[in-house]
Amino acid sequence: MRFRLLEWWQRWRETFRHRDARETEEELRFHLEMAELDAARRGEDVREARLRAGGLTHAAEAVRDQGSIRWLSDFLRDSRHGIRLLGRSPLFTVAAIVSLALGIGANTAIFSLIDTVILRTMPVQEPDRLVQFAGGRVLSYPLFRQFGQELRCFTDMFAQSSLGRRDIVFDEEPEAVKAEVVSGNYYSVIGVSALAGRTFDPEMDRNPTPVAVISHAFWMRRFGLNPAAIGRTFRWNGRVFTIIGVTPPEFHGMTAGTLPEITLPLSMAGEILEDPAWLTSDSMSWLSVMGRLRPGYTIERAQTEVSTIYSRVIGAQAEHSSGNEFSRQQILAQRMPLEASGNGFDSLRSRFAEPLRLLMGIVALILLIACANLANLLLGRATTRRREIAVRLAIGAGRGRVLRQLLAEGMLLAIAAGGLGVLLAWWLSNALVVMMSNGGERIGLNLRPDVRILAFAAAISGAACLLFSLAPAIQATRQGLQPALSEARLGARWRWGRGLIAAQVAISVLLVIGAGLFGRTLLRLYAIETGFHRDDVTLISVKTDRAGVQGSTLRRQILESLRSMPGVASASFENAALSYKGSLYGTQVEGYTYGPNEDIHVQVNYIAEDYFGTLRTPVILGREFNNRDTATQAKVVVVNEAFARRYFQGRSPLGKWIEFKGPKRMEIVGMVKDIRPRCLREEIPAIVYVDAVQFNRPQSGVYIVRGAGIAGIVDSALKRVDRHLLATDVRTLDENLSRSILRERMLGTLAGLFGALSLILVSVGVYGVMAFQVARRQKEIGIRMALGARPVQVTGMVLAETAVPVGAGVGIGLVGALGLTRLAEKMLYGVTPTDPVAFAGASWLLIFLALLAAYVPSRRAAQLSPVETLRCE
Amino acid sequence: MPNEQKAGVLQGTLDLMVLQTLATLGPMHGYAISARIEQVSSGAIQLNMGTLYPGLLRLEQRGFIRAQWERTETNRRARYYSITAAGRRQLQTERAEWSRMARIMQAMLEGGAG
Repeated sequence: MRFRLLEWWQRWRETFRHRDARETEEELRFHLEMAELDAARRGEDVREARLRAGGLTHAAEAVRDQGSIRWLSDFLRDSRHGIRLLGRSPLFTVAAIVSLALGIGANTAIFSLIDTVILRTMPVQEPDRLVQFAGGRVLSYPLFRQFGQELRCFTDMFAQSSLGRRDIVFDEEPEAVKAEVVSGNYYSVIGVSALAGRTFDPEMDRNPTPVAVISHAFWMRRFGLNPAAIGRTFRWNGRVFTIIGVTPPEFHGMTAGTLPEITLPLSMAGEILEDPAWLTSDSMSWLSVMGRLRPGYTIERAQTEVSTIYSRVIGAQAEHSSGNEFSRQQILAQRMPLEASGNGFDSLRSRFAEPLRLLMGIVALILLIACANLANLLLGRATTRRREIAVRLAIGAGRGRVLRQLLAEGMLLAIAAGGLGVLLAWWLSNALVVMMSNGGERIGLNLRPDVRILAFAAAISGAACLLFSLAPAIQATRQGLQPALSEARLGARWRWGRGLIAAQVAISVLLVIGAGLFGRTLLRLYAIETGFHRDDVTLISVKTDRAGVQGSTLRRQILESLRSMPGVASASFENAALSYKGSLYGTQVEGYTYGPNEDIHVQVNYIAEDYFGTLRTPVILGREFNNRDTATQAKVVVVNEAFARRYFQGRSPLGKWIEFKGPKRMEIVGMVKDIRPRCLREEIPAIVYVDAVQFNRPQSGVYIVRGAGIAGIVDSALKRVDRHLLATDVRTLDENLSRSILRERMLGTLAGLFGALSLILVSVGVYGVMAFQVARRQKEIGIRMALGARPVQVTGMVLAETAVPVGAGVGIGLVGALGLTRLAEKMLYGVTPTDPVAFAGASWLLIFLALLAAYVPSRRAAQLSPVETLRCE
Repeated sequence: MPNEQKAGVLQGTLDLMVLQTLATLGPMHGYAISARIEQVSSGAIQLNMGTLYPGLLRLEQRGFIRAQWERTETNRRARYYSITAAGRRQLQTERAEWSRMARIMQAMLEGGAG
């Protein structure tokens, strides 16, 4: 075995070293001479001896095979030949590599996102046995406990919740870290153990302990991997926590896109969130829950068990509900579906899975167009090399051998483009993540190119290489031995070219229609009337969960401080609507009787003074709140138009009363224009505005400021009130609305980009085919012109010939689009999947561009001098 | 292909014959080796160049023999092969193996067939 290895090692080395073929030949010649001499001496037939010794060429070949690794040395020789050829036409090479790299890069980038967001499983033990509750739905702590005690189908269950960015204090200055809380058994159930120190234990659920586990990334960023980090303490809301361990580098938490840095025990949540209700109230649902299936249980069997218990829970809730039949039915209609979740808690997946799949399809089509161009270019080269190929085939090189030689050239291109593509993908996928994060905090996705990504890039490079170089190679070697049947050959070549044009145009029509649909969706969304002026309005979230200051007092101080800043025209406050989905209250309205199956809930928004003024939302009827509406006065509300439409069929709501839970009636004193809340695509709901001062209610909410350059003054305005106040989020209304149409913007931008790219590639492709075609037909064109054809007629002939495959391509593309765009219907807004503008626009655009691309070579043909063209053959 | 199969069976024996020849007669060139093998086998084994020289190269690659250009008695340049220490060890192992195998086959064909 050892010697066998040694032999292979030597062969490997000699493959690269070039054994001297002349030495072998000399040795073999010597052998033959000796054999002849011997035979002559013995008086035997010299020719017979020669034959017995065997053929020199054959023996030399056998020695060469033993002296090297055959396929490898062939490949190396072909590659060297290929590099020389490519080097001779650098423009072709660069164009080919760049267009292919674009295709490969785009595919790899989208794939790496799909891989991290959808496909990849977490680095935990037996991820396929993990089951999550209800696609992103959250549970209250008491319900989590109840399930934990009663369910038999799981060996264990854990809960987790991301807290977002929070302030902690190590020494003096507070620093913001991404935090989450997990139940004590979290790490043991998923099977992740500490890289250093220890993790939590189940005992902590009963016995709240102020400890923390940090991520590897945080350990590196904050402590430079110093082991002394374990045992360090930090303060959170005045409470001191001790770091007890570090998780391994490959573990990024169970929710794709969050990358928590500090993890705390769930049992501490009451203290760190400053409200024990988080752990006691069954109406606060905030925990993502997973369980590990007990051996022998399937997910279906577990589902039955969960459903049984859950129907009992909601049954009890419905019984105690004070609402009508509808709300009872709503409670009873709730379900608790289980879902396999080896790739972690769902968050990004539901939002981006569909657009990403669509984009994957789009970039795959781009790659196809690029391949078609390369196939065309390589076919052109193979045709010009047909003499060389014919000679090689004639002297006995196997067809396979010649095929491999032609493939080697394609392979070189694929390797170069693949390498460049991976770099491009790295850049592109990061750009996409920034886009998905949408101006907010960067989504924490780990996009380091790993083996899977590289394997994917290699696989598509290889597939592309086969696609674009095998077909021309087969075509070129097929008629290798037919002597110069050039007319037939060129006919075949032209059939190829037409096919390529048609295919490229068809794909591009599809992409451009897609771009048109998404682009028009975006325009429609931007054109929606929002009911307020969004220029120069800024939303500010402030962290106010600090003990000691009364919510409403602090709010008044902050508003005063904001209003006194230079550049601020007005400022107000709301609890929900623009910033978050508001709370829903069961509401009774004067003179209105609910049907048994009607939803009695209405969205309620607590606002501060000058709210409508700040948004410049017109008051249509009655008045808005003023400073006479104090806590001691009769309670009044303002409603929007949608509310009046729903409850009063558009008649004036002024003077009517409404009531929420309980008997307190409130008079409607005003009606304002509809405001489209956070999301451009949602229906406008009925909204009741109540005065935050009069009700002294909401603790949390968002400050709304009109003025220019607000972002720069927020911090100083807050610091003037209290130096511990911190703005957690500052964004303009414009940004806020853009966020709500993130998916549409992403698809609109990328589909437009890729559509444009496909147009460029197709133009290049059509130009390439037609230029070649014209060059080959110089003689024919020369004859035609000698016989009196005018230049215009020649141009027209070339254009007409182009129009046929282009027309066919457009037709195929339109039919394909009719079938395919329906799949994207859910992602469109305000346009039908068969939008005539997009369809017609794409068709004409392609026809125009293709003819333009063909016009250039056709002009050249028309300018040929007949005499010259006839002479050159 | 039957030809290749034959070559496969032959390969081991060819190695053994070449090593044995070089071990007993010292350095020789390719033709001399083939002539010697032909002579010893009374003309039964005639190696053509396409078998002999790849075989020699393989033995060289495995480190069993060494090759060197030298002058013949008639002052011609020729490549001479000589056995190495590893080659001698290999020869010993192979020879023992071969005799054992031969004894077994002998016993098989004479006694066992019954």
